[in-house]
Amino acid sequence: MNSQVPIVQMRKVCKRFGKIKALDEVDLEISCGRIIGLLGANGAGKSTLLRHIIGLYLADAGECVTFGCEAGKLGPGEFARMGYVHQEGELLEWMTVKQLVRYVSTYYENWNRELEEKYIADFEISTDTRVGSLSPGQRQRLAILLAISFEPELLILDEPAAALDPVARARFLDLLLQIIQTENRTIIISSHILSDVEKVIDHTVIMKQGRILLDCGFDELRERFCRVRISALGKELPAELPFENVVQCQRSNGQAVLTVRDCQREKLQEQAQSLDCWVEMETLPLEEIYRIVVS
Amino acid sequence: MSILTVNLKHLYQRRGLWLVYVFLGFIIFLCIAAALDHAVPKGQFMGFVLLSFMIGLLAGVLPLEVVTKPFSYCLPGHRKTVRQFIFLVGTAVNFLGSLLFLMYPGLRFWQLALVPCSALFAGLIFYWLGIGYAFAIRTSGAFVGFLPLVIVAGGFFDFHVIMERAIVENPAGVILAGVLASAVAWFLLGAEGLARRYCAVPWIGFFDVWNRDKMQKYHQAKAAIKWEKLKKHTSPSVERFFLGHMERCHHNSQGRYIWGGLYTAFGLAIPQWKQNLSNVFWALIAACLLVCFLSYMGPAGSPILFIMPGFMVAQMRLPVHASMLISGGRRERFITTITLVATTAVLATILVTILAAFSLPLAAIVPEFTLRGATFTFYAMNTRLFFIPLFMIPIVSAFQLLFFKRPSLIVLSIMPLFVLLYLAGILWRRALGWPISPVHIASVLVLSWLFFTAVLHYTCMRRCLV
Repeated sequence: MNSQVPIVQMRKVCKRFGKIKALDEVDLEISCGRIIGLLGANGAGKSTLLRHIIGLYLADAGECVTFGCEAGKLGPGEFARMGYVHQEGELLEWMTVKQLVRYVSTYYENWNRELEEKYIADFEISTDTRVGSLSPGQRQRLAILLAISFEPELLILDEPAAALDPVARARFLDLLLQIIQTENRTIIISSHILSDVEKVIDHTVIMKQGRILLDCGFDELRERFCRVRISALGKELPAELPFENVVQCQRSNGQAVLTVRDCQREKLQEQAQSLDCWVEMETLPLEEIYRIVVS
Repeated sequence: MSILTVNLKHLYQRRGLWLVYVFLGFIIFLCIAAALDHAVPKGQFMGFVLLSFMIGLLAGVLPLEVVTKPFSYCLPGHRKTVRQFIFLVGTAVNFLGSLLFLMYPGLRFWQLALVPCSALFAGLIFYWLGIGYAFAIRTSGAFVGFLPLVIVAGGFFDFHVIMERAIVENPAGVILAGVLASAVAWFLLGAEGLARRYCAVPWIGFFDVWNRDKMQKYHQAKAAIKWEKLKKHTSPSVERFFLGHMERCHHNSQGRYIWGGLYTAFGLAIPQWKQNLSNVFWALIAACLLVCFLSYMGPAGSPILFIMPGFMVAQMRLPVHASMLISGGRRERFITTITLVATTAVLATILVTILAAFSLPLAAIVPEFTLRGATFTFYAMNTRLFFIPLFMIPIVSAFQLLFFKRPSLIVLSIMPLFVLLYLAGILWRRALGWPISPVHIASVLVLSWLFFTAVLHYTCMRRCLV
């Protein structure tokens, strides 16, 4: 598949739940092969957006197209190309893990048994256990297994690691890193645990109150924000620092630590030299970038 | 402000409770009116005492709603608040209720102090029963469900008359029993581990039935316990049967989704019957008891039997709202749901018709009997009403779809609907005579299924699915 052709297109999508505007004129294009981190606080509209993509929700206004088909009219052909793990983790409680896997696999022509067995072993899920008796973490692992064993082109993970303990989360991230090796697979992952997400994503979408605040490549995002540590070489630092787009500034003992938006590194370096200062620049972790963007 | 005062504020700060107060106020008014209306009392003074059970349920549910939140009441100084709250409400309410006994006709001077005191402790006994019930169950819904049962059962056995006589004629005994019950309650409610035992347990509060997310989490938590206890598994033959049929259909064909939907709906139920003969035995016993009970009710028993599947279907989860994604789209959900509802309707109709037919031979041999002056005759069920489930199930399913986000509205809307349909049935019978002609039955069935199909189509194609 041509990686330039968007597999998801949302144009001016609006959704209301009573008085709450869950999505407010959302425009989004997701190209093939991307690993997208969908970030936002609770109620920002992340799950609503994902549910529009798979057609569980219908837009009040605007258009949402997935795999070239209007999301509300997606059929078995399109659904066989996408996996979805949702935060509620609804599964068929009365079946054993083995039965549930067999049942779900019956719907998919390209179900990969080897992959299924590998994940069962990796996730340490007992196949004879009843689904209703699984712990939240085990349920989530099972849901992930069901969503990826048919090797979907589009994998949507809505808070997939929320119920996992730290060890299981680390394993899940390793697994995600394995999954993304597959060329042309698109993954949309919404999560609160930004430190985890930043290890795998190559594109970031940040939402707030139903709107997309930022939609750009992760490398570009990291370039845009930086932390600058300025140390006076000789005398004291001037009271007013002449740098632009400073979001935060902390000063102490002849040093200043600045958080800068739309950072132009060369210009900053020149300005620092003119002030007879030593400058050190570092990229910000996603968590801090997120805080700056939404504030 | 003391911790107890803050907790007492719940009594007026929760606006939803105001409705409950209006309801209780109406009953209290009836209790007082009934007590004052009779020169020779025959249990009329017991209304308020018996109402203590309901007040106990209410007073038990309120602190439980707090106690089930993590850390509440586990904090220092909070542990005894549940007991303080419950005792304060119980004593105050029952003291006021017991004053009604001052109006009891023919009381001697020495009885004027003793009888209200006896009524206070009798009320407290019922109050503790209500509290105990509130702590034993995991949902406050029983507050509503228990009321008719208490009234009907108590009324039938003249329980209120016996209790009233005991309060007036044997006050010392009642006071002693009340003191003992209160002492036990004091001990149990003050137990060290009480708050810890209820802390963070799944709990449905008074108004949580309106909260879909909370209800879903509650059912999930309950399901985990339920499935843990369930030892039986779906048999391999049942699994093979359904999955085999699914595999025989083409991957993108509707048949695969239809068989899948039937498997998820009936896959567990079938082997439970097949694998365990004792289940079949107990089911037959239950069916016999049900048929006998309804047959002794007279001609009204038949419609009740045939209406019952409608109520049971209201609890069924339709696949249209499944959030576990399989490869079916909205169209597949539509087809699967309509097939599932139709199958359920046919199976339920067959089952209740067999039960009704079972009463026909029994009518010849089961004798009539007399209890407390009333004669009960065994009436054979009217199997001609077989069409009722076929008519009711699509309508109930349509209401389920319409009120998917408000599950409590499903029952609230179905109840008046059933009453209306019952009345319509009587009018219809008078206007068109009996038996109802097959043409009319067919018309009604077609209309109900058209209504359901229209609602389902609208839900599947135009509404949010989860």
